[in-house]
Amino acid sequence: MKQFKLEIISPNEIVFEKEVDLVIFPGSEGDIGILKDHMPFLTSLRVGIVYIYVEKKIIETFLVTGGIVEVSQNRCSLLTEEVVNTNSVSSTNKTGEPSNKDEVNLKSLRDKALEKLYYS
Amino acid sequence: MPSLKDLRNRISSVKSTKKITSAMKMVAAAKLKRAQDNAEKTRPYARKMSEIVNSLVENNKSKEFKFSEKKTKKTRNILLIVCSADRGLCGGFNGSIIKFSKKLSEKIINDGGQVSYIFVGKKAYQSLQRFCGDSILDFFSDIANPSIKFELAGSIRDKILELFLNDSMDECYLIYTEFKSAISQTVQSLKLLPLNALEINNDNSSNKSYDFEPSEEEILNEIIPKNIAIQIHTALLENLASEQGSRMTAMDNATRNANDMIDNLTLFYNRSRQALITKELIEIISGAEAV
Repeated sequence: MKQFKLEIISPNEIVFEKEVDLVIFPGSEGDIGILKDHMPFLTSLRVGIVYIYVEKKIIETFLVTGGIVEVSQNRCSLLTEEVVNTNSVSSTNKTGEPSNKDEVNLKSLRDKALEKLYYS
Repeated sequence: MPSLKDLRNRISSVKSTKKITSAMKMVAAAKLKRAQDNAEKTRPYARKMSEIVNSLVENNKSKEFKFSEKKTKKTRNILLIVCSADRGLCGGFNGSIIKFSKKLSEKIINDGGQVSYIFVGKKAYQSLQRFCGDSILDFFSDIANPSIKFELAGSIRDKILELFLNDSMDECYLIYTEFKSAISQTVQSLKLLPLNALEINNDNSSNKSYDFEPSEEEILNEIIPKNIAIQIHTALLENLASEQGSRMTAMDNATRNANDMIDNLTLFYNRSRQALITKELIEIISGAEAV
């Protein structure tokens, strides 16, 4: 499959930068899939999960609470203020308490996301 | 002439001052490294964001949008966001920020405008408190503990957008210190609002015609606040790096001066000691001769 470059950038770091086949975003007007040779495109995001495909398999998923996606010249940039890699997080342990920092982070992010959805 | 004991005390006090300054220099150097790293990490986000905003504003030059200049009012209300450090002992860092903001606000007042302030960092707040009177809108301190949070920039942004949109403020400038290197920093003012296309340099806009979803205007209204937040965030990070750099050089100078002082004092101490011995010898010899 033809590949293009995807980068996910947050104010603190470049979260993801790789050649991918397909990426699906939660666009503010509906989910959007981007393939190679997409026309220049700009959209805002709502709360949701970003799915990244390589060779018909999801390799990474990210939770975002909003942001901007820009596509131009086979380069797709996702700018977001809050992002968490869902792979880095396992489910909560037996006590139901988050076991590490990432989970606490995800939990607060999830709460925020729910809140956002609730009020919108 | 001071006695030998006084000199000894003086030398030991300079020595302990030197210990403090050289420790502070070391701490500042370590913090500088971290601050610089942080500042560099935000750069890709800021660059991409400003690229998008630039091309959008460029395309919308003729239209009037939410954050463009207002043409109705005559007296201008100007908001200055002054970023300084929380602590002193960093050379001319805080002094030059204070001087710069004072000059700028005096210029605005002379032109018939009104100035209000938001302070980030204790030092500028403390020394400009009396000068500003009751036009201080907000004050943040202790921002870099343990690290600068993006949320802070967000809350400052919310505040200025609210003021801008309900017409109590027409222009907004950010005063911060640009970090060039560990020894060179310059105070700068950055215009956050309003946006006008003329001032934005479009060196790399290849005039892409985007497909928008939702409409171009909605995206513009969403992206500009984000851009302002990241600009504030970067400025705060640069300010922190500048502070540490400035402190490092100041403490380095202080250590060197302390060294010079110790050398001079030691020399003087030895001379006085010798002079004292010689004097005593002369006394003894002349006493012996007299007998």
